[in-house]
Amino acid sequence: MSLKELSDDDLWLQMQDDLYDGQKDEVVEETKEALARGHTPQQVLSEGLVAGMDIVGADFRDGILFVPEVLMSANAMKAGMEILRPLLVETGAPRIGKMVIGTVKGDIHDIGKNLVAMMMEGAGFEVINLGVNNDAQKFIDAIREHQPEIIGMSALLTTTMPYMKVVIQALKDEGLRDDVYVMVGGAPVTESFGQAVGADAYARDAAVAVEMAKAYMARRRGEGVAA
Amino acid sequence: MTELSERRRERRARQVAPRQLAAQISYTQPRHELLDTNGIRRLHDAAMRVLREFGVDFYDEECRAIFADHGALVKGETVFLDEELVMRAVARAPRQFTQLARNPAHHVVIGADKVTFAPVYGPPFVQDLDGVRRDATLADFQNFVKLAYLSPWMHHSGGTVVEPMDEPVATRHLDMVLSHILYSDKAFMGSVTSGPNAADSVTMAEIVFGAAAIREHPALISLINVSSPRRYDDRMLAALKVYARARQGLLITPFILTGAMGPASIAGSLAQLIAEALAGIALVQLIEPGCPVIFGSFLSTMDLQSGALTMGTPEAQLGLYCAAQMARHYGLPFRSGGAFSSAKLPDAQAGYESALSMLPTLQAGTHFVLHAAGWLDNGLAAGYAKFMLDCELLGMLHTWVKGVDLSDEALAFDAMAEVPPGGHYLGTGHTMRHFRDAFYRAELFDYTSSEQWELNGAQDSYARASAKARQLLASYEPPPLDPAIAANLHAFVAERKAAIAREPRDF
Ligand code: B1M
Repeated sequence: MSLKELSDDDLWLQMQDDLYDGQKDEVVEETKEALARGHTPQQVLSEGLVAGMDIVGADFRDGILFVPEVLMSANAMKAGMEILRPLLVETGAPRIGKMVIGTVKGDIHDIGKNLVAMMMEGAGFEVINLGVNNDAQKFIDAIREHQPEIIGMSALLTTTMPYMKVVIQALKDEGLRDDVYVMVGGAPVTESFGQAVGADAYARDAAVAVEMAKAYMARRRGEGVAA
Repeated sequence: MTELSERRRERRARQVAPRQLAAQISYTQPRHELLDTNGIRRLHDAAMRVLREFGVDFYDEECRAIFADHGALVKGETVFLDEELVMRAVARAPRQFTQLARNPAHHVVIGADKVTFAPVYGPPFVQDLDGVRRDATLADFQNFVKLAYLSPWMHHSGGTVVEPMDEPVATRHLDMVLSHILYSDKAFMGSVTSGPNAADSVTMAEIVFGAAAIREHPALISLINVSSPRRYDDRMLAALKVYARARQGLLITPFILTGAMGPASIAGSLAQLIAEALAGIALVQLIEPGCPVIFGSFLSTMDLQSGALTMGTPEAQLGLYCAAQMARHYGLPFRSGGAFSSAKLPDAQAGYESALSMLPTLQAGTHFVLHAAGWLDNGLAAGYAKFMLDCELLGMLHTWVKGVDLSDEALAFDAMAEVPPGGHYLGTGHTMRHFRDAFYRAELFDYTSSEQWELNGAQDSYARASAKARQLLASYEPPPLDPAIAANLHAFVAERKAAIAREPRDF
């Protein structure tokens, strides 16, 4: 059966299944098909992509899906989002959110940061991954260039963790601090350390990071903060 | 009567006297080898292909230039190496070397048939004597140095035994090196967190041993990690250059969490690991021919379901056997293993995982065993009780490694001749000659009857280990140190701290 012959409901289900299986090309086609049928970008997002990724998230949490599978799903999600994102902006739909993430200066531990980036993309966020070893200026430049709502810093060394505070201070100095939600993480980072350096949130793992980012975006929309 | 009580006193004294550091153990058993000649060739060829086709990134211009001067192809930050260049450089590395300790009786031979055990490295947290997980402090650092010094089974004082979080980042390395020197007389490691920190470590070693002496035999071994996959970062390279030029030992270790930092297979990860290690070792030899190096391997797995790091897994041990064999093939001293565990406290998981890591470590013929005691929580925490229990395992392994004595004395015909069928050996001349040290006697494991155990307070090994650590720390006395050397060290540390305070820095 070709895509065109599917009922709307079956199209959503097909999208969810293909997301689950990490079928990027298929998800792209289905996204286009759904739009062609006249569904709003918001509808395609919630009925297809987000619904699909919710299932992926639940099955990852329950130990059914493996990291590489989630990575494939997240890539498929990202591909679908690339089509939807400009349309969502045009229609004035609330933004899912954009995150700039990187490890801080002196730190090259990046597997955890990459997992967080992957899960964020899986949740529909646009992620600008700055890679490793970023000084404050790189974060600042990235904020100016990409206008993210969220800044994520990862550090695994107690010798580099204090640099998070340097970045946060630099954000203040540049008058950018209030525009962004600062999230920190990494194995030796703790809730109290996050507070001490003046971060807005600490997440112990990638799934929690996504939950916090989503909750923040919801608050930000609800509170009517300029997006 | 006087004579009797004299003897009694003597025996009692023997009972409580601290045990001397056991001699470094020598392997007498055959190594457990998984690779045949074809296997060795396949891994070697794969590693050479990685170096030739994919290359390794070096985030340091000077290091790239050194490679280029020797004919390597450099594109951007990536260095591509051919077999000829790498193997010629690697061949300059010594097969074995001696690391100096403050107490000459504690010098360690790295390589040959010798094993060196060193404590856990790097944890920012401790699991303290009350079982609480908290930030590690300089006091904890010194405690672990003391416990390693007091253990007869620990040959080395290690490096960053814990990260002293209460000391400023910029000067911590000075406190750490100083503590190794003040609180122990065993060999220790230098700082790798920056080039200047490495240089400070070298200066302190020179103050203790003399500048000429440490060029002849290294006084430091320092841990250079490869940021797998295929990447050496700027800090590590800055430290590597300082140590190589000072002819200090370098422990070049790729750290691969298989599945994330290397292919999801042991063979592929090994090929990458060999390529990464040899590239770094070659660099050291190009900078300073004959500089002591150790081929390191830290290969663990990732739980590809959750993304969690897993330690003490069977695949890691298989990789360890092969990596050891490859190091032997290249004629290089080998580092791997440790009392690894993902457990948060010294529970059954910790015991199983650590034992399952340590036995293959020795079966493989490993020369330098970092993390031989204290490792918990994937290296995030150093446990006091875990340290004590691991030392107990190390004690047992000292016996295990020796293999079986087949001498006439050990065959004990005289004893058999003394004992009729159905008799017993408890009183034979042979038994009388050997009963004290015939068998390893664990201090922390319980061998009593269950009733006796109840009467003794029904303690588990965790509680016994904590009590032992407390007791050792209370009875600790520092080894002697020449006051002039101590004064010079303190002066140097004070001067550096003052200078560092004046330097501009981020934090
Ligand atoms: C923005 O918001 C967020 C939110 C959540 C966030 C987040 C950001 N970032 C992470 N999270 C969270 O979500 C992730 C997924 O759920 C999680 O991420 P994690 O990163 O925690 O988890 C990953 C999925 C798996 N975990 C990891 O990948 C890290 C594992 C451990 C073992 C580790 C590894 C693998 C490595 N290391 Co290094 N390493 C250790 C680590 C010990 C440990 N148990 O953590 C640690 C952190 N390292 C340490 C050290 C000492 C070092 N390491 C070094 C090097 C390396 C390797 C390069 C070999 C390798 C990293 C390779 C790579 N490509 O990343 C050196 C420094 C290099 C540098 N400049 O950064 C070197 C200095 C060692 C040396 N002497 O050479 C210790 C730190 C001690 C300290 N003082 O702080 C250490 C605890 C191990 C140890 N005992 O030595 C959460 O933390």
